[in-house]
Formats: sequence, C-alpha cells, structure tokens
Amino acid sequence: MYLTREEEKILAGEMGEARAEALKIIVKVGEALGAERLVPIAHAHVSGISYGTIGDHGASLLEDLASRGARVAVPTTVNPVGYDTEDPSLLEKAGVRITPEFVRGQSRILSALRRMGANLTLTCTPYYIPEVRGIPVGSSVAWGESNAILYANSVLGLRTNREGGPLALMAALTGRTYYWGMHLDQERVPQTLYHVEEGILDEARAGVLGEIIATSHRNRKPPLVDARLRDEIALREFLAALGAAGSLAMAHIQGVTPEKPPEKPEERIMISAQDLEERLDKYRPTETLDVVFIGCPHAKAGDVERLARLLQGASRVRTRIVVTLSRREYSRLLASNPRVIGELSGMGVVIARDTCLIVSPFGKPGTRVATNSYKALFYLSKRGVKVSLAPLEDLARIAVSGV
Amino acid sequence: MKGRVLVEGNAAGEAVVVEALSFYGEVDPKTGALNDGRSIAGKVLVIGRPRGSTVGSYTIYGLRYYGKAPRAIIVESDADPILVAGAVLAGIPLVDRVAGALSVISDGDPVEVLPGGIVRVYKRSSSSPLVRGRI
Repeated sequence: MYLTREEEKILAGEMGEARAEALKIIVKVGEALGAERLVPIAHAHVSGISYGTIGDHGASLLEDLASRGARVAVPTTVNPVGYDTEDPSLLEKAGVRITPEFVRGQSRILSALRRMGANLTLTCTPYYIPEVRGIPVGSSVAWGESNAILYANSVLGLRTNREGGPLALMAALTGRTYYWGMHLDQERVPQTLYHVEEGILDEARAGVLGEIIATSHRNRKPPLVDARLRDEIALREFLAALGAAGSLAMAHIQGVTPEKPPEKPEERIMISAQDLEERLDKYRPTETLDVVFIGCPHAKAGDVERLARLLQGASRVRTRIVVTLSRREYSRLLASNPRVIGELSGMGVVIARDTCLIVSPFGKPGTRVATNSYKALFYLSKRGVKVSLAPLEDLARIAVSGV
Repeated sequence: MKGRVLVEGNAAGEAVVVEALSFYGEVDPKTGALNDGRSIAGKVLVIGRPRGSTVGSYTIYGLRYYGKAPRAIIVESDADPILVAGAVLAGIPLVDRVAGALSVISDGDPVEVLPGGIVRVYKRSSSSPLVRGRI
C-alpha cells in the first residue's frame, strides 16, 4: 500500500504508539482488501459501545488506548449505550434490569471514549447532527452503524464503508481510512433498478421493501430504487432495513441521492404493491402484546409529537409503549413542545434517551413486541422475541384498543 | 500449503477446524469455547470463511484478554476486516487464502505456521504414528 510520508511517520510511532497501532490496523485491513492507499476522513462514528455488546474486554481495550494517549483526530460521534444515562432504571417498565455492574462497565467505556475526545452523542442517527449536515457532499467519513452508513452514502452524498467494531475508532484516531469500496466513484454506480409499481410507502412497507431488496440483490453495486417513500421516517426505515438484512452500504434512491444515476441501468426488477403486502402480512400483529417499540433508528421530535396526536383522547395505553430517541431530539422536543413528554408519560409511554431495545439487555425469549421498524424486528427476533411490524398509526391504535 | 500473511508470527499447535465462523456469538471469549463445545484456546484455528457481526473484533481481542487466544488463525478463503482488526489488536498470527486448508487439515492435526505464509500439516498415517509431510 502506498503511504504518505506523514502516514509512514505515524506508523513508525512518531505521533505516539496508540496512533501507530490504530494506523497499523487500518493499513492491514486495507491491504487485505486490496486498497492502494488511505484517504483522509472528515468525521467518524463509532458503533458497538454498549457494555452488553463488548463487555469487560471491550472496556479494557478502550481504557488501554485512552491511557496510552490515543486521541481522535477528527470530530467523532458514538452510538447508543445500554441505558438512559440520566436514569438507568427507565426501561424497567419494559422488563429491562440494569445492574450496578452494568452501569460500572458502561461508565468505563464512556469515560475512555470521552478521554479520547469523542462527542458522546449516544445516538444511531448522527446524520441529523448539524456538524454532520455541514460536511460537503463527496467527503469521505468512517462510520459504523449500518443504518447511518446507508443514510450517509444514500442521502447525504458522503462516502463510507461499513466500519463496524473498533474500525471507525481506529480511523478516528488516525484521521484516515482505507481507500476502497464506497470512497471510489465507480463503486457507487448502480447496475440494477428496482421499480416499485405503485403506492406511497409508509415506514413498515418501506422496511419490507428494504428486506426484499437486501436479500435478493446480487451484485456489488448499490441498488437503484424507484419508490415513493411517504416521509422521512419511511426513508430512514427503508435504509435501516437494507442495512440490517444484508451487507449493502448504499442505495441510490431516485429523487433523494445527490449523485446522478445511470440513464439505462443494466437490469430492471419490478416489485408490486402486492409483493410488499404479502411480505408485510407475514409480520402482522395478531396477538396480545407486551411492548410497542418506536425509535429504531432513534425517533425525531416530530415523530413523538405525531404519536401524541395519534394517542389524543386516550387516558392510558393498554400496552406499554417504549420510545427511544437521542438526547438532542429530546431537548428539541422539550423546547418546542414542553407538555408532550409529561402527557405521554402520564399515559404509560416510556421515553428513553441514549439507548434502544437492541443495545439494552431487553427481551426475554417469548416477549411479544410490535414495532414500526423492520430493523428492530430483524435483531430482536434473533434473541427469541416475537416481533410484529406495522406503521405508527396502527401501533397507536393497537396500544390503546388492542390488536 | 501457502497463504497470504496478514499478521506475522510463527506458531504451532493442534488444529481446530470450522467451516464458517462468526466470533461474536459463536465463540465465548472467556473460555475459548465454540458453540459445539470445542476449545480454540492454544490451538491453531482453521476457518473456511469468516462471517458475522463486526463486534467479532472485540471478541477476538477478548480471547487474548482472558488468556484463551488461539496460537494462530488460518483462513481458507479471504479474511474479512473483522478478523484482520481483531487479529492485529490481539496479536494473533493470521494467514489467509490457504487454498485447500479444509480438505487437508482435520481436527487434532499438528499444524505449524511458518514465515512467508507457509502452513505445514503433520498427518498421522495408519501404519506409523506420525508422518511428516509438506503439502
């Protein structure tokens, strides 16, 4: 691999040993993939930081790096953690018990990241943060978190591969990643067009569309998608589903993606409204539920306000609703609509920041959950939770009156 | 056999062979045990192909942290970023693109990883207890 003189110096330890080790990892991964060189990044987003996911060994690795002087070279944000840091007991109403040991382990991880200079945003939606929206189209970044990667490439016109685990942190520490995959123009040009025949898709239908495309797409290029997604949450859920159900890093969505699509894609695949309905039917809520889950990826203030409008008139929900969102969106909600949080809590809705039901120790096998997120369905099902899928308006109705 | 060196280092040990392996979810870092009960601690792990969650890099580091790391990892196909990052962090010798590894190596075979990506397997023949051969 070609390295600049500065990169050689870093590797030789002239900027500290932690940075040298971080760059060694980036270089080795790049060499394994056949990358010719490295590329500077404008931003990094680190996933996999819940104590439940990386344990004591992960905490030790991060502490070790921090103690050896590792410091991020670019603005760096991080994913959600195992609980709401202001009130770890908040999700107890959803059956989640956070032990003192868990809090200790999680705090070790957060302290280490803070020492390294990361901005503890604790959300899977870094694409909504102003500093990220300001990054010029075409810039390279190093992000973990599959839904965010898809949003970065497909909506913001940024360039990132799927840098999960410690990779995004290593990139953050060195300000560079390997020049491969999504950083290259030619890897971003679609070959296959998926044309959704009719209808405007809500977030649940957008999710199953993501599942269908992710599981049937056969080439390395991003799928070109011609579909009408109803709103921002449908777009977000489509991308999250694509990210969860396969290994794609990008979709070229007509009318959304900044880059120009090819005029004549090599292949055209039709998806009918019926294909989507049949798929959604498999996931329809049919039995009594334990939890209704909203906020995977993290909800925006507007989504919570919409939930409140849908629940208007109800005094209490019959089924516990859990909403998860970033602390930034929580603050925006408090500022724009101060009574909404109190009203929803009074009805039995739990609103938690910094976390979600996937990265918290949620979900005894057999727990029955309904959600508007295909991604949540995908991951919670793996731990034996019985998950059904429906759009927000149906979930609100079900939570009040039953299935 | 010969492969591509990704993380340098010589090693020798008994082989544990797995067709496809996701470290996260399929290896317990605290014990070095696979889901089927076999231990990879102190062994030469031979993988057909890697797969699974990126958290796997932390799991590989965990094996070193808890003292249960394999002595080397050999991959028949291409190593993925998860495996490379984990092996570098944990300091475990890693060789990939070892064509034919799963056809030749069986559980329990003594295996050596040598400089230049050379992988030497010692096969037991039926007539003598140990026959040395380089494939």
